[in-house]
This record gives sequence, structure tokens and C-alpha cells, in this order.
Amino acid sequence: MSVSSSKKITLILSAELGKLVTLPWIWFTLTGAFIINLVLAVAFTSIGQQGAAGTQRMVDTGLASMGYLQAGFIILGILTTCSEYTGGQIRTTLTVTPWRGFQLSAKHLALAIIAIPAAFIMVASGVLYAFVMTRDTKVIEMNTLIKTLVGATGYLTMTSLLSAAIGALIRRTTPVLVILLGYYFVVSPLARNYLPGIKHVFPDTAGYYMYRSLSSDEINVLTPMQGTGISMLWTLIFIIFSVVLYRKRDA
Amino acid sequence: MRAFNAELSKLLSLPGIWLALFIGAFAPAVFAALDSLTQKADIIAGTSTRLAEVGYIGLGFGVQGVIILGALAVSSEYLTESSESGGGQQMTTSLSVVSSRLYVLLAKAGAVTVISALLCMIAIIIMVPTTHLILDEYAPAFEWSRLFGALCYWIFTALLAVGFTVLTKNGVIPLAVLMINSSIVSFSVLLSKITTLAVYLPDRAGIDMFMSMSDRFHTPFIGGLVMFAWVFVLFIIAAIVFYRRDVAA
Repeated sequence: MSVSSSKKITLILSAELGKLVTLPWIWFTLTGAFIINLVLAVAFTSIGQQGAAGTQRMVDTGLASMGYLQAGFIILGILTTCSEYTGGQIRTTLTVTPWRGFQLSAKHLALAIIAIPAAFIMVASGVLYAFVMTRDTKVIEMNTLIKTLVGATGYLTMTSLLSAAIGALIRRTTPVLVILLGYYFVVSPLARNYLPGIKHVFPDTAGYYMYRSLSSDEINVLTPMQGTGISMLWTLIFIIFSVVLYRKRDA
Repeated sequence: MRAFNAELSKLLSLPGIWLALFIGAFAPAVFAALDSLTQKADIIAGTSTRLAEVGYIGLGFGVQGVIILGALAVSSEYLTESSESGGGQQMTTSLSVVSSRLYVLLAKAGAVTVISALLCMIAIIIMVPTTHLILDEYAPAFEWSRLFGALCYWIFTALLAVGFTVLTKNGVIPLAVLMINSSIVSFSVLLSKITTLAVYLPDRAGIDMFMSMSDRFHTPFIGGLVMFAWVFVLFIIAAIVFYRRDVAA
């Protein structure tokens, strides 16, 4: 069957999206992440109310759960790529779409299509809750708020894509999960303390600058744009690496 | 006993087990080494405040290894094999061979206990010389009671992972929850800022067995008891669920 190139890409993308939305675990993960994020937002808001309130504080309170929320998006990314390998699904996939590069890229694109709205809803709901609860009387600059929300959404999407790329490299759910969670929650926080010199070049610490508020008392080493750049660079490198390997490797 | 041997051999032949053993054995030493280096700088500067914790902090984070071990031990049984090899679950075979479900669960818990105890000993054996090598004469004396506390902490954490995974049948959720919870940004620390009852959470209570932090609440013995109570209750729930659940469900 001969199909035009653009039609082919659309077909692959819709197939990947179809596979993704019919994966029950994706919905469990997203719902779970949403609920946990709200619970954490409640917790952080009640802690935050004990301290002094301010415009930036309110946004920070709403985003304080980001550290935990990223776990949900790591799982999302891993599930996307590793679910192909739990059964023989990968062989069916490659039989019907024998263009590996397109197929894996389309998978990342499909993941981004799902992750972006999900991340935005979760981040916005956390900030909204903090806003409603603290009843911040100060006028919030819509501009800053939107920038922060977009940055946080971008960070979560990027994390998710990075996890998917690493998932495609290693192909087994549990080891990938262990490596990524271990990195994001144990190694990286410790590395921040012990190796302050090189801490800004890692994907999560650089991505941190994408959504953190620019407060005057802290020295911001990276601008949001630099943070986005470094984070994106990591994600792209891993995606390219996984695509290259995917094309070479026996399925 | 034969069920126990079987569980032991199943556990040690799992595909992901190398990762658990590797992290469990070496992560404490690596964390302890990094912490020792920072401490050494502090000692030279004369600002060291928490010398007594050096090394133990590694054992606190190194517990990740046994979390993986516990979660893998159970989730591997429920992993559905690919349709090309029948699409079965190992659990069906395990329960056909050992017909008592309680025995299967106990043997599994026993195997995990033994492996995590051994792993913790190996970790301590690697970690202690590392600290001594870096800190030299400043290295804290490692008391047996505290090391034993760390050993109990590892075993209980592994058993929590087992009990939790029996309930969920899938390794992803227990791994995510327990690994995040044993890291720096744990949920328990967060909760302890809201309510003082959080000191009775298993990991907060358990860590009192060997860490003497400023916000310590329990004595080591009570801490151990609280954590053991959690493990015990979780295991009773897990046993009831496991006993009543359809194998294939």
C-alpha cells in the first residue's frame, strides 16, 4: 500500500495516540497524580499559611508539590514506552509500522499531546487551590503567573519525554523506574548539596529554573530560558539516542 | 523449609535483582563517602555539627535497595508473561506447588528478610571502612546497637514493600511511594509539619532506631516497636487479601 508521507505520519501518530489512551495504567497514573497533587497542595497551603504570605509565596505554595508531581510524569513516560515490551506488542507494532524512527518519534509526540494538558491542569489546580485558600489580596501579575504555569507545564512534559526516551533505551519497566526515581529523588537532591559546582547542568535542576519564581533575595544562576534550553537539550539527546538505538537494535 | 528455599532461589534468579543488590550494597557507602567529604571540610573549618550521623545517613538512603528487593519479590509473581509464552503468571505455578497460601507468603517474607539482612550487613561492612578511610581519626565509633537498629530498619522496610506489593500486585506504586518516602523530600517529613502524629508513621519511627536527629521523637526501642507494628498490621491485611483473592484476578 502506498500512502503519501504526510498521511503516513498522521496515521502513525493516531495509532500511537490510540495505543496510549487505551492503556489503562495511563489513566490510573494521571488520576492518581491529580489527586495526590491536590492533597499535597492542601498540605503545603496549610504549612504556607503559618508563614508570611506574599504574591510570590502564593504561587510557590501552589507549585511546592512539583517535586512530587514529577514522579507521576516519570511513570507516565516510562509506561508509554515500556508497555510495548511487556508482551510481544512491539513486534506487532513494528510489523504494521515498519518505520522505526517515525514510529518512536510519533510515540513521543503522542505522549507530549497527552502530557501537556494533563500537566497544565494539575499545575493550575494546585496554584488555584493555594490562591483560593490564602485569599491573597495583593494583585497578582497575570503575566508572571502564566509564565510560571507554562514553565511548570513545560518542565513536567520534558520530564515525561525524557523518561519515555530512557524507557525506550532500557525497555524494562522496573529497572527504569528505579533508576529514574533514584536519580530524581535521591541522587539529585544529594548532588545538589555535595556537588554545588555542577548542579545546574542536570536536567531536573536546570528545569527547576523553568518555573521557579524570580525572587530578589535568591541568586538565580540561570534564567528561565537557559533552564529550558538545558533541559530541552537533555531530552533531545536522549530521544535521539533512543531513536538511533531503536533503529539498529533487534526488537 | 522447602518453600523457603524455593522462594530464595526464585528471588535470587530474578532479572532485576542485580540492581537491587547493587544499590543496596554500594549506595550507603557512596552516600557515606560524599557526606564524609563534606563533613571533613566542615571539621577543618570547625563548623561540624552532626558528626555522629556520618555514615548512618548512607544507611538511611541506601534502604532503596531493599525496597526494590521487596517490591520485585512479589510483583514478579504477578507479571503476566508475553502471549508468546502462554500469557501465564508465575503466581499460578507457585500456588500449585505450595498449596498453602499462608506458607507462600511467609516463605516469601522469610526469604526477603534473610536477603535484606545479609544485604544490610554487606552494606555496613563496605560503609564503615569507607567512612574511616575518609574521616580518619574523626570517624564516629559505630556502636552495635545503632547498627542493629539500621539492620531492623532495612528488614522492616523490605517487609513493608512486600506487604504493600501483595495488595497492589504491581511494583510501580509501592516503588514510587516508598522510594520517594525514603528520600530527602519524603511525605512523612511534610506531614510532620502539619501534625505531630506523623512521628508514628513507619519510616519516621523506624529512622529513630539509628539516627539521633534533632527532631527525634522516639527512643530506638519504641521506634522499632512502632515500625514493627506497622509491618505486622500490613502483613495481616496482606495475608487476608492474599488468602481470599482469586489467583488469576
